[in-house]
Amino acid sequence: MTNLLILLRKELRGFFLNPFGWVVLTFVTVMQGWSMSGAMKALQDAPIPESLVYIVFHMPQFWFYFLVIFPLITMRLFAEEERVGTLETLLTAPIQTWQLVLGKYLATLCFYLILWIPAFIQFQVFSILTDVPPPFSTGSLLGAFSLIFLMGSLFIAIGSFASSLTSSQIIAGVVTVGLLFIHYFLGYITVIYGDRFPAASLFHYISSSEHLRYFSKGLIDSRAIVYYLTAAIFFLFLTHHVLNHRRWRS
Amino acid sequence: MRSGSRPPCKMIKVDNLTKRFGRHLAVAGATFEVEQGEVVGFLGPNGAGKTTTIRMLTGFLPPTSGSAAIDSLDVGRHSVEARRQIGYLPESVPLYRDMRVREYLQFRGQIKGLKGKTLKVRMDEVLERCGLREVRRKMIKTLSKGFRQRVGLADALIHDPPLLILDEPTNGLDPNQIRSIRHLIKQLGKSHTILLSTHILTEAEMICDKIVIINGGKILASDTPSNLVSTMRAAGRISIEVKADPEKARERMTSLDHVRKVIYERSRDDWEEFSVLVESGTDTRERLARLARDEDWPLRSLHRHDATLEDVFVELTRKD
Repeated sequence: MTNLLILLRKELRGFFLNPFGWVVLTFVTVMQGWSMSGAMKALQDAPIPESLVYIVFHMPQFWFYFLVIFPLITMRLFAEEERVGTLETLLTAPIQTWQLVLGKYLATLCFYLILWIPAFIQFQVFSILTDVPPPFSTGSLLGAFSLIFLMGSLFIAIGSFASSLTSSQIIAGVVTVGLLFIHYFLGYITVIYGDRFPAASLFHYISSSEHLRYFSKGLIDSRAIVYYLTAAIFFLFLTHHVLNHRRWRS
Repeated sequence: MRSGSRPPCKMIKVDNLTKRFGRHLAVAGATFEVEQGEVVGFLGPNGAGKTTTIRMLTGFLPPTSGSAAIDSLDVGRHSVEARRQIGYLPESVPLYRDMRVREYLQFRGQIKGLKGKTLKVRMDEVLERCGLREVRRKMIKTLSKGFRQRVGLADALIHDPPLLILDEPTNGLDPNQIRSIRHLIKQLGKSHTILLSTHILTEAEMICDKIVIINGGKILASDTPSNLVSTMRAAGRISIEVKADPEKARERMTSLDHVRKVIYERSRDDWEEFSVLVESGTDTRERLARLARDEDWPLRSLHRHDATLEDVFVELTRKD
């Protein structure tokens, strides 16, 4: 347990001790602000029967920057250690491989959650600066943020897995983006081809855009929770095995 | 860490260790032992399987077959416990470039199970011992190669392991740095068991009590340097300069008893120089002189070189 915390702390510090983490934080904050002001403008221009939270997370730019966050924050994780050779010093230290995997994963998840603090503050601006009730319910805000957390937990696990496969950060990043785009578009299959084929319910089940639609209305869907968490565990398990068996290749 | 009353046991026991990468056989049934307190040189040309063997010992690579044990802990079954006994300096000395020396050693000490006061004391001790006190606040990326090597060594020492495994610790250093690292290793050898991989023979001769020679994945010899030299079959090398047809002279000399190999070295103003490798415990000079007289070859010099570790090494590992 202590080993896990030591590795988590070292990794999390790594995000803040070099410019990289700050660049990502800036990029995400700017994009969040853009979504927010775009959503407020949309509300101002025409009456929309949805809450501000719903509109912010359904702006066209949302998925565009959201999916790019993951390769950025995960591509380094194992690929860089492998390239520099520090993976050897880590794996020959008296620690278990799962401690290393979980430590890095949880540190990235923490950093990811920190990335959402600016957006959260932006939503609080209404109650801080005005006495007008905010144009959304607490439920929809909490719903949207819990889905952000759930998607993050899976997508970071996918990114860790991609990073463990290679010693090139670029390849790890490209693989992550590829997997996440495929995952996202699989959710769109029912939009394109309709519901009239046997596997349609499967595509509904994994559709992140549908989940976002429910959650940002404040509807917590337990199927989505189970889906994201089990899939995340599955990818962490794969990462662990790749690290333990990498040894066959080199 | 272990009680001193225990009878000394094998610090490293490698039994028929084999590693295959696809079709390539990197280590082929290596077997050797290292006693507690010994400083052992692990010698071999580049690509001989040194690093692969070491990586199997440190638990970074699993063996294809065979077994290895550190202080009677199997590296497969009791991996974490076995790794705790080892301070390992990998060949490329991988470090985190963005960390400061002290911070790095603190991190490494922590994941090796040190904390609080013990960690602080150990950090001060290794910083002192490896001569890193002045650079402890510097970023690792600003350090010279020699200092990085010391940081790697400090990392290997931080948890005070009974066994140090150093993979080519003087690789790529300048002569002064090499001297200081060797001096440090000698000092450490008084209190630690050390397995030192190298391809520099003088280094092994200077530092080590025992030498294990590996080539093509096979262990070729394992003994003290002096025993190795005296028991080697081709322990003697004789230089001879004659005036004769090189081909014919080589043929005639090869046909003598106890001569293992005759190498034509060069021709210097009509004098042909040969190296004659002979079996140990025999002196072939007299018979070579007689041969030159019988064949009517003018003889200019006949000189016997005492065998060195280098001869042993070359003899064991040369391709032809």
